[in-house]
Amino acid sequence: MDGIHDVGGKQGYGAIDVDEVDLYKTGKAFHHDWEAREWGISRCARTPDITIDWWRHCRELIAPVDYLSRPYFDTWAQTDFATYIDGGFFTLDEVCSGHSNSDNNPFDEVPPKPMSKADAVIADSQKAFRFDAVINDQPIFTIGDRVITNKHGHSGHTRLPQYARNCIGKIHALNGAHVFPDLSAQGKQTHQHLYSVVFETGELWPDTANKHDKVFLDLWESYLCAK
Amino acid sequence: MVEFNAKKVAEVHQHLHSHLPSDSALRVKALETLLVEKGLINPESIDAWIEAYTEDIGPKRGAHIVAKAWCDPDFKQRLVQDAPSAIDELDYLGNATGHLKVIENTASVHNLVVCTLCSCYPFSILGIAPAWYKAEAYRSRAVRDPRGVLAEFGVQISDDIEVRVWDSTAELRYLVLPQRPSDTEALGEDELASLVTRNSMIGTDRELVKKDEVKV
Repeated sequence: MDGIHDVGGKQGYGAIDVDEVDLYKTGKAFHHDWEAREWGISRCARTPDITIDWWRHCRELIAPVDYLSRPYFDTWAQTDFATYIDGGFFTLDEVCSGHSNSDNNPFDEVPPKPMSKADAVIADSQKAFRFDAVINDQPIFTIGDRVITNKHGHSGHTRLPQYARNCIGKIHALNGAHVFPDLSAQGKQTHQHLYSVVFETGELWPDTANKHDKVFLDLWESYLCAK
Repeated sequence: MVEFNAKKVAEVHQHLHSHLPSDSALRVKALETLLVEKGLINPESIDAWIEAYTEDIGPKRGAHIVAKAWCDPDFKQRLVQDAPSAIDELDYLGNATGHLKVIENTASVHNLVVCTLCSCYPFSILGIAPAWYKAEAYRSRAVRDPRGVLAEFGVQISDDIEVRVWDSTAELRYLVLPQRPSDTEALGEDELASLVTRNSMIGTDRELVKKDEVKV
């Protein structure tokens, strides 16, 4: 979707906070306790049937005023609320009251056992998810081929940013076939060949400082046509 | 069952805008309370994940990978060819690094990593991303004005160096392998790792320096 999340190349967002404290140098990882709680929740809450692409799309669907003004991990919490409501785990009334209505609790499971820090470190090592698969179709493009990206997006989730649409680039690398996010966000798992495509900045931007600098994007086959 | 109903979710967001408390801490507390009451989460496990990402999983892992690549040419070759397998040797393979790529800075190339569509980041080797990496100011400009972004971080790139920006649009994640600082032949892996900044592994830092040198 042509949403507020697609910020590549947009102007007017001002200076970068380059003076932000490098928290890990101070023995911390989070600026606020609630950010840490949200991170922990995102790591260990049960989220049956939710795909990463659906979750990302639900974050993109946050109203622009909230997307731009709420703190980053706050938007994660809002996305979690939305996905749990869509999944039938929470009702809107429960979210607004902040408590479960036990008559409406769809679960009849034993609550998960507590994890230790060592458990979490091991669990993290098991989250090196892979999204590739062997498919019958051969890749259409090979390294060095000139390609042009699609001119238009669509109203659903997609990973072809607006700034790189209708632009000419070259195939830099083949990465095998990966889960196609546009359909994964609808709960449908299909795979397409995924390419790293390189664009000269002069092709992308009229006002670039050095037109021979390069921008690389990882793009699925149906985003591309031969040029 | 998950409905994957985007229209419904957009409406839900409008309701949440009006009905959730404004304070972020209260919002997250409400989320945690509901998940606990529904039996979907154990609050002690939240503590465990926070500790894991504060004490064990963070940029010191990335710095170790970089230092080892500087010291061990065979490891570096494996790292550039198949980064997930190489970092698995160190038990660092994990969240968001299943399709890791390592991109090497040279005298003539500087690499910079961004995610313009959300905030993709190689968590298991760099930990929690800095706030600036997730903010619109960086995400919008990194692809359009990388030299301006780098200058803002105090990094001047001469015209004869090619800047390569990597926008993390798929499940591939990128780790920049910075150049080894000069006059560090005598240093071991641990000392070298202490010279590697988090920003240098994202690409917003370039010239690493020995500890006894003052960066101007």
